[in-house]
Amino acid sequence: MSGIQVRSLKKSYGALTVLQEIGLEVQPGEFTVLLGPSGCGKSTLLSAIAGLDEIDSGTIEIGGEDVTDREPSQRGIAMVFQSYALYPTMTVRGNLSFGLKVKRNTRAEIEKRVSWAADLLQITPLLDRKPGQLSGGQRQRVAIGRALVQDAKLFLFDEPLSNLDAKLRTEMRVEIKKLHRELGMTIVYVTHDQIEAMTLATRIAVMKGGQIEQYASPDELYERPATLFVAGFVGAPAMTFLPGVYRAGGSPAIELDAVRVPAGSLPLAGPVGDGTEVILGVRPEHVALAEDGAVGQIVDATTQFMEPMGADTLGWFGLGSQRISARLAPQRARTVNGPVRLALDLRHASLFDKATERRL
Amino acid sequence: MRKNARGLTPARIGLYAFLVISAAFFLLPLYVMIVTSLKGMPEIREANMLALPHTPTIAAWVKAWSSACTGLSCNGIQVGFFNSVKIMFPSVIMSIAVGAVTGYALSLWRPRGVALLFGILMAVAFVPYQVFLFPLVRLFSFAGLNSSLPGIITVHTIFGLPTMTLIFRNYFAGIPLELMKAARVDGAGFWRIFGSIMLPMAVPIIVVAMILQVTGIWNDFIFGLVFAGRENFPMTVQLNNIVNSTQGEREYNVDMAATMLTALVPLAVYFISGRWFVRGIAAGAVKG
Repeated sequence: MSGIQVRSLKKSYGALTVLQEIGLEVQPGEFTVLLGPSGCGKSTLLSAIAGLDEIDSGTIEIGGEDVTDREPSQRGIAMVFQSYALYPTMTVRGNLSFGLKVKRNTRAEIEKRVSWAADLLQITPLLDRKPGQLSGGQRQRVAIGRALVQDAKLFLFDEPLSNLDAKLRTEMRVEIKKLHRELGMTIVYVTHDQIEAMTLATRIAVMKGGQIEQYASPDELYERPATLFVAGFVGAPAMTFLPGVYRAGGSPAIELDAVRVPAGSLPLAGPVGDGTEVILGVRPEHVALAEDGAVGQIVDATTQFMEPMGADTLGWFGLGSQRISARLAPQRARTVNGPVRLALDLRHASLFDKATERRL
Repeated sequence: MRKNARGLTPARIGLYAFLVISAAFFLLPLYVMIVTSLKGMPEIREANMLALPHTPTIAAWVKAWSSACTGLSCNGIQVGFFNSVKIMFPSVIMSIAVGAVTGYALSLWRPRGVALLFGILMAVAFVPYQVFLFPLVRLFSFAGLNSSLPGIITVHTIFGLPTMTLIFRNYFAGIPLELMKAARVDGAGFWRIFGSIMLPMAVPIIVVAMILQVTGIWNDFIFGLVFAGRENFPMTVQLNNIVNSTQGEREYNVDMAATMLTALVPLAVYFISGRWFVRGIAAGAVKG
């Protein structure tokens, strides 16, 4: 079990820079998720850690050893691929034992490790089948098994659940989380699915345009997003963004399109200059109806429409020309109509500088 | 829902008529050859080309195989048969082995302009062989390979390479890259990946390559004539010698039998591998 230390890693394909000055540190036993939209460089970063892609500059340490110039098999890693990449001509047993054979383990040792992994993943009855005879979920287990049998210090997952249907995905997610808790291995996991990231990770690195926007625990990421991008990418339904101007002084406030919101309760990191163009970010669960006794800054709004989502209903309200969403109880939402008074709980809101898109 | 799929519609009658006529067109010469080869010379002189033999005999086949004259020696076409076998096996194995490795290597190598390179390779595969004959003869006699078994095997291997390389490259290029990445993580190198993963997946394409090479090399005439040397003339060259070197009466029955014997190997390849061929392609196509 060991951590990773990535320092100022750069990678470009011709004129296109895919990774710029990446620094990433993963503690032993940590479950780090690289999260971002497609093309953000998360898979390239994972490939670089695995040693499958060459990098232009920077260093990669795994378990305290510099592995920058080592072959993938010399890095003490195991990997699960998006397409599973099972060897189609080999049986499941062959797939699990191939790497061990290549690395010249004894027959008894191979047998022991394969049956351990097969047992753990409940694929023992499938050992003599070929990958073509397995379902998607079974293939996924085999792919994980192939990684587990390796005596790896670090496990890399490249969007392993994206080819499964929604139900299986939820099941496998739980399974992976369980494996991590039982075996305590170090994991780096790539996904574009923020729910997968939130549920699995101990720390999430949100990436955009070849850079890490924020690297923090799921709670921190959700409650105190460092940039506008992170705020918008993490959380469903998404955070509402309200552009406005900050007014400093004795009772600081934010001038939105139609209303003026006192900013005293905002959790700001430091003083904000008067007249700064800002974006106020409010999550739907921090907006409630004032007449229900909710606390926060009261604003007048008009009901626009309701989006029932099952457990909650997402209510959309107009604030002048701007729009804000609130998470409401379904029964309550049915009675909401016309002008309402909304309570914004700004203690949990975020404020971003419009120019730099960074948290204030 | 095709209701009339099994009914005898006019279109279907036309289709069958076309198939029957085409089959007859190709089978008639074969029929003539077989019946002629089973006749004795007196019967052939009756000049009823399409008639079945009155008294079928395999004498002509025996003679063609074991005692027909090819120039000065009269040992039949069997000499050519075994020469062809000696040429074919090493040539087929070598050309496929080298083509598979080069194709695999090229499938991993994807620089800019690679399409152009393969275009050129493809074009080269279509350059008429005659162009190369003279320079190659000079080169081979310089290297001491001329008129020898290794010489002709080398020629077949070299000339099989463009096609074999392309076939294998295109096949291997279609195999997902992640499979190779997984093998690299597992610690396998270039040869291990080739031997343990790529080659077992390539069985259908190896069968295709074998059909191409076996028939191509067996049917070759000009390379055998130029590079094999008098001792190693392949069956095609020997057949030509039997048919063209006649003293006195032309023995059509022997000529026909010798031709049939020569055609037997490619024919057998199609019959035996045809099923494999389809099965291999189908097995590869079902699911990745």
